[in-house]
Amino acid sequence: MQLIKRSTLNFNFQTVFSVIFLALVLLASDDVLADLNELADHAVFGPGDNKEGYESADYRTNSLDLEKRLGKEANLIDFVNNPPLGLPPVPIPEDNPMTIKKIKLGRKMFFDRRLSINDTFSCAICHIPEQGFTNNEIQTAVGVEGRTVKRNSPTIYNSAYLEKIFHDGRESTLEQQVWSPLLARNEMANPSIGYVINKLRAIREYDGLFEGAFQGRGPTMETIGMAFANYQRTLNAADSPFDRWYYGKDEDAVSEQVKRGFEVFMGKGGCSACHVLNKKYALFSDNLLHNTGVGFQESMGIEPKTRRVQLAPGVYTHLDTSVIKSVSRPKENDLGLYEVTENPNDRWKYRTPSLRNVSLTAPYMHNGSLLTLHDVMVFYNDGGVPNELLSPLIRPLNLTDTEIDELVSFLESLTGNNVNVLVKDAFAAPIGDISPDDPNWAHENQLKF
Amino acid sequence: MKIMAKIKAKWMQGSLALVGAILASTIGFHTTAMADETCMSPYMAKIVGQEDYVYVWTLGVEGLGDEQDKLVTISVNPNSVNYGKVVNVLSVGGRNEAHHSGLTDDRRYLFAGGLDSNKIFIFDVHTNPSKPTLHKVITDFVEKTGGMVGPHTMYALPGRILVSALSNNVDHGGRTGLAEFTNEGEFVAAHWMPTDENMRGAKKVGNIADGYGYDVRVLPRRNIMVTSSFTGWSNYMMDFSKMLADAEAMKRFGNTVVVWDLHTRKPKKVFEVPGAPLEIRCAWGSRNNYCLTTTALTSQIWLIYEDDSGEWQAKAVGDIGDPSKVPLPVDISITADDQGLWVQTFMDGKTRYFDISDPFNPKQIYEHVIGSQVNMISQSWDGKRTYFTSSLLGNWDKTGESDEQFFKLFKWNGEELVHEFTVDFYALKLGRAHQMRFGAYSLYSQKSNSTGTLLSQR
Repeated sequence: MQLIKRSTLNFNFQTVFSVIFLALVLLASDDVLADLNELADHAVFGPGDNKEGYESADYRTNSLDLEKRLGKEANLIDFVNNPPLGLPPVPIPEDNPMTIKKIKLGRKMFFDRRLSINDTFSCAICHIPEQGFTNNEIQTAVGVEGRTVKRNSPTIYNSAYLEKIFHDGRESTLEQQVWSPLLARNEMANPSIGYVINKLRAIREYDGLFEGAFQGRGPTMETIGMAFANYQRTLNAADSPFDRWYYGKDEDAVSEQVKRGFEVFMGKGGCSACHVLNKKYALFSDNLLHNTGVGFQESMGIEPKTRRVQLAPGVYTHLDTSVIKSVSRPKENDLGLYEVTENPNDRWKYRTPSLRNVSLTAPYMHNGSLLTLHDVMVFYNDGGVPNELLSPLIRPLNLTDTEIDELVSFLESLTGNNVNVLVKDAFAAPIGDISPDDPNWAHENQLKF
Repeated sequence: MKIMAKIKAKWMQGSLALVGAILASTIGFHTTAMADETCMSPYMAKIVGQEDYVYVWTLGVEGLGDEQDKLVTISVNPNSVNYGKVVNVLSVGGRNEAHHSGLTDDRRYLFAGGLDSNKIFIFDVHTNPSKPTLHKVITDFVEKTGGMVGPHTMYALPGRILVSALSNNVDHGGRTGLAEFTNEGEFVAAHWMPTDENMRGAKKVGNIADGYGYDVRVLPRRNIMVTSSFTGWSNYMMDFSKMLADAEAMKRFGNTVVVWDLHTRKPKKVFEVPGAPLEIRCAWGSRNNYCLTTTALTSQIWLIYEDDSGEWQAKAVGDIGDPSKVPLPVDISITADDQGLWVQTFMDGKTRYFDISDPFNPKQIYEHVIGSQVNMISQSWDGKRTYFTSSLLGNWDKTGESDEQFFKLFKWNGEELVHEFTVDFYALKLGRAHQMRFGAYSLYSQKSNSTGTLLSQR
């Protein structure tokens, strides 16, 4: 009770993910409270443009001021050397050891909007720190010039542990992964590898940074990938209330509701068949790809004649599909793993995401089609979408409403205790916007080829 | 009373009132005080008589012509041998999401923004009005403003250009602000929109203070500035149909109008105006202390007015078409006598004329289909000439055969619009036609050059 009182007095931030806050506050030690008090400066657990309750005409804003989005640099390498409770040792490639200089360089590039064809797009535009390093505001991503990306931006929390990267698992290492968004025409749209390298060489702020981090080597395809990977490998978020209970043996770390949710997760729900954990740590992913029917539904489902569209808080209408099609560009199909293997059995298979920090990463599924964790539970309880390739692990679960609520509570207990530190660190990172000394400045300083 | 007769009768009254109004302004010191096009800043020099050119800020289209944004100059003086023809094309490089443009108070320069690239292109339109040149490019709009994205309205203040932004460099959402530049393009100041966390001294009238931005207009004699609210980069750059199907994205629209103290640039009141209020037009009459705006998604006309006790209020005063079908009202234009309001509805390609003689009870009295889609309108001060263009946003325009891209002149005789000419922007491989601004030799003590170079004639 003492803790509740203190929290009531000290907290005055927005209600985004209030359930998580409440859970943390109720269960927190004094150390945690100190950390959370620091957060009171500015919410780091959701969009500063809070839309909670927007479905209702009584919607009230709780918008945050961008000038107050201030951060604090963290010693990120600590989260690699000593991964938070619940995570295994961080796998580090032999040829790309972690160093502070590489981490800082990767972090700088991650927030640099100049690393795109028209100087408008950084990695952080789709992987927004306070939005779970994904984008809570749109279901599927939008790239340079507004080009359509067909999938939801995945979180990069704990990406150090990924064995297959991207929703379709097409990439294997973080060092290589970064070149896909840098070069994809519908993402950052750089025209070539050489263009990126030359641009980094021409931006004065990077003078000496690569050389200092890579024993004299400048920006190359390899060193750029290594620096990005170093930063991403630090974003390990765990030591959640669940971890403190399950691995830390602190019985008071989570509520009875969370514990019951975990029972459903491991038992009747069958969730842990794919979202695996063991006695020492939990990644909550089998690092495999499965067909749940979400992709099948999108590719093969029959379009409704009308679509319900929200126009304002509490105001909706139904628009004819023909009207919507009149302003529609061709939509790219999505066949999942099949696009990598061309094996027809791999149609609509997507990677099992980790569930760590999952309450921060809405909307859900590879296409962002489910907006809340409750929606996801209902989807699985109904047995996914039947199709001939549906994973045999997906079946009707017959969960009660209470069990669904308990599952959601369990999932909400998976938010890492150090998320605030990682997000605040990201806030402290400079955003690279074009200035007079840069390439492409005012039709001058064009890159030479 | 016929509309044209009303305009004639009120012309002198309105002109005198405007001069008085500007003199009474707390910051107005410029001596010229009337605008030819009815939606322009009152601080701008005025074209007396016939405009010679319309400058069309045009979006480049992939696979069409040179694919890049351009300023297209069209001769519109019927005495010119090039009447109704494109006389100059100035490509600027890139697809910047060319959108709105605005002239400096002295009308020597045209500022034209790119909602995507955040560049502001400053064109010299006075040295040779038939052939604008690129004078300067502001490339560091985002850095200078501390993170604003999407320079939208370019609005003339004395010696300055006020720029309203749409987004920010943190989440590409709708929180944003206003920026001021000198007529030479030097950054002066940034003013962020009020949010719940920092209302900046403003009063939140309803439940909403979203911090979004879109248009800006001023009413100098009441020392008032008014801003509206649209959406952030992620939405305005997204494929329109994709956005309509994205329930999260559809929550990210502005629902506010903010009334500011013009002199101090401090927000005073944040009004709840649901459904993306876009263009703002303030009345010209000396006693007409109000502005109008229309909401894109909820299809309403809103009146922002000063009540009898001197308090500013916001009120929905009428519907536009059938709001349940989302006709999507976009650009609007008020007549010089404050008696009429043209409203474009993008989805059905119509222009609709509302009698606003009682601004609390606007009534639609005329409509005409301009094309398969329509967005911008610019009318001459005497109301006789109405120019229309077709493009809304690069990824929002219609597709297939419905994607007509044009510049059209219609003459308004008080009862109906009569088509005068069309410039087909796709046939000429120019792109998507957007914002229009007028140019004239008379502004610069030059004579009309009716033999200007004809670049495109088909």
